[in-house]
Amino acid sequence: MTATTALTPEQLQRGLRRSRQRTARRWALLVNTPGRALSCLILVVFALLAIVGPYLYPANLPINPKNIYAPPSPAHLLGTDFEGADTLALIVTGARYVLFAAALAALITVVIGTTAGLAAGYYPGLAGSAIMRVTDFVLAIPGFPVLLVLATIWNFGSLWEMAVALGVFGWGGIARAVRAQTLSLRERGFVEAARGLGLPGGHIIRTEILPNVAPYIGMNLMLQLTGFIYVEVGLFFLGAVPYSTNNWGVMLNNAVFQANAVTSPRALAYLLSPLICILLITIALVTLANAVDEFFNPRLRRVR
Amino acid sequence: MRLARLLAAKLIAGIVMIWVVASATFFLVLDMPGNPAQAQEAQDILHGMTPEQAQRATAAMFGFVPKQPLADQYGHYLWQLLHFDLGQSIAQEGTPVAHIVASAFPWTVVLAASGILISFLLGVSLGVIAAVKRSGLLGDSLTLGGAVINGLPTFVIAILLFYLFTTIWALFPQGGNVSIVYDPGWNAGYIGSIVTHAVLPVIAYALATLGAWLLTTKSSVVSVLGDDFILAAELRGLRPLTVARYITRNAMLPLFTILAIALGLLFSGSVFIEDVFNYPGLGQLMISSITTKDFPVLDGAFLLIIMAVIVANTLADLAYPLIDPRIRRR
Repeated sequence: MTATTALTPEQLQRGLRRSRQRTARRWALLVNTPGRALSCLILVVFALLAIVGPYLYPANLPINPKNIYAPPSPAHLLGTDFEGADTLALIVTGARYVLFAAALAALITVVIGTTAGLAAGYYPGLAGSAIMRVTDFVLAIPGFPVLLVLATIWNFGSLWEMAVALGVFGWGGIARAVRAQTLSLRERGFVEAARGLGLPGGHIIRTEILPNVAPYIGMNLMLQLTGFIYVEVGLFFLGAVPYSTNNWGVMLNNAVFQANAVTSPRALAYLLSPLICILLITIALVTLANAVDEFFNPRLRRVR
Repeated sequence: MRLARLLAAKLIAGIVMIWVVASATFFLVLDMPGNPAQAQEAQDILHGMTPEQAQRATAAMFGFVPKQPLADQYGHYLWQLLHFDLGQSIAQEGTPVAHIVASAFPWTVVLAASGILISFLLGVSLGVIAAVKRSGLLGDSLTLGGAVINGLPTFVIAILLFYLFTTIWALFPQGGNVSIVYDPGWNAGYIGSIVTHAVLPVIAYALATLGAWLLTTKSSVVSVLGDDFILAAELRGLRPLTVARYITRNAMLPLFTILAIALGLLFSGSVFIEDVFNYPGLGQLMISSITTKDFPVLDGAFLLIIMAVIVANTLADLAYPLIDPRIRRR
């Protein structure tokens, strides 16, 4: 939006202050409960782990066959695994693959899903229904069995391959949500006004509609991230993907199927560590997605 | 006859989807490392078969002859598929895949169906409570709990259940579908053993979809509660029971689409649940066929899972306009 008439400095000041207040209010809503602030903190910590984690430990973690399945102690804060390696080190170094691939897949999902959704919503004719046919197809196919079969062909050695595979099968939900929003937005006054001015469709989609669907994309994205982490760790957990790197899924696979930690009460800390990491990330993302949802959907807001 | 046309279109869409998936599976096998069909044929020749014998054996296994022109291979494969001939297993040589898959299917379906039923009843009731009490602590904790369970991977649920109830407290048997000490048949010991082995997997299935039911019910009821026609009905002084009926009819609709999604989720989940509990269903069949490189079985199990989900989706699509008159009129 550009100003058409000249503003006095006072008006400009007032407008700026108001927009700053609005931003502050939004931010306050995001962190207004301890739970939400904590969720932000959790995500920041895990993001840092993914970035610097692998540099904190040697490439081959020291093992100690005399100290397997040790309970938590000052030397090993989360105990040790089936060959005496430090569980905390495994968790920290294993964060990168899981989180990077999930973030990358989310990026791919957003690009494909948003483009498809906007196009299908803004051009609801033949093009729109063709796009929705493809979307329905992607949505109807249970992604996990497909990835399982694909894993026998490409073995997902690099996190790029994993991210592309996840992204290509994951964009259906976002496309559908964006399309629904776009369909209703295109009938609104300001969009009709833009059309009346003769602005090109691409411009209207980018500058008028996209900013209004962005929160829905953000919310879907957060929920999708948990889904991607789940699928990735799941593939490694089942042993369907040959593991070249250490990550949480490999840890779980070792724990449950190779080392029988699941039948040994001593391995509690080792078995629970990756599970609790996944749980923490899930809770944090879900809490923040709810915060975003509540902000843009006043019906959900608490009645005071 | 708009309704009939709508139904026909949905039906055709379902059939086309199955065809696309079947074709994709065919080309996937061709692309697999070392082309399993050709490798099998070469191995058969190595084991002393004549080339003709080897070709026939491979054709029986995979549903196509590796060295024929691609179009012939494809046609042969589709033709066999139409007759539910999924080829033969490699690991259990000579056994038809259709037979192996069919014997695994009921174990998955019975457990998954029980799980869906439990999570539907529990999730919808909790969702209604969460919607009605949405401004209180109860509603908040129900919603958060639902969201967390919804985001929790099935394998986390399965591992935790297994670890807690068979290792920490040994309440249930450690995996399998039935104890071998009983004679198969209608005797109390055998049936009881099947039931105790099924309890934990069924709970895992139920928890896997509980969150989706709860959250959808909640948001659906909340949005209907805010609608003008409910307010109007209340203002007109209609009996609470009548208003509740209005709410239910309108809030039910989104739940119906969840049913199809839940089915897809359960088949994905069966891979994890059956693997953790060592349960002989379709999911475990897929995993074991990956480790033994038994590609015909992998494809068979995969196709069956995908088809089950597509059929469920199509049925939901077909039923939707029957339930919601608004869709019919559009």
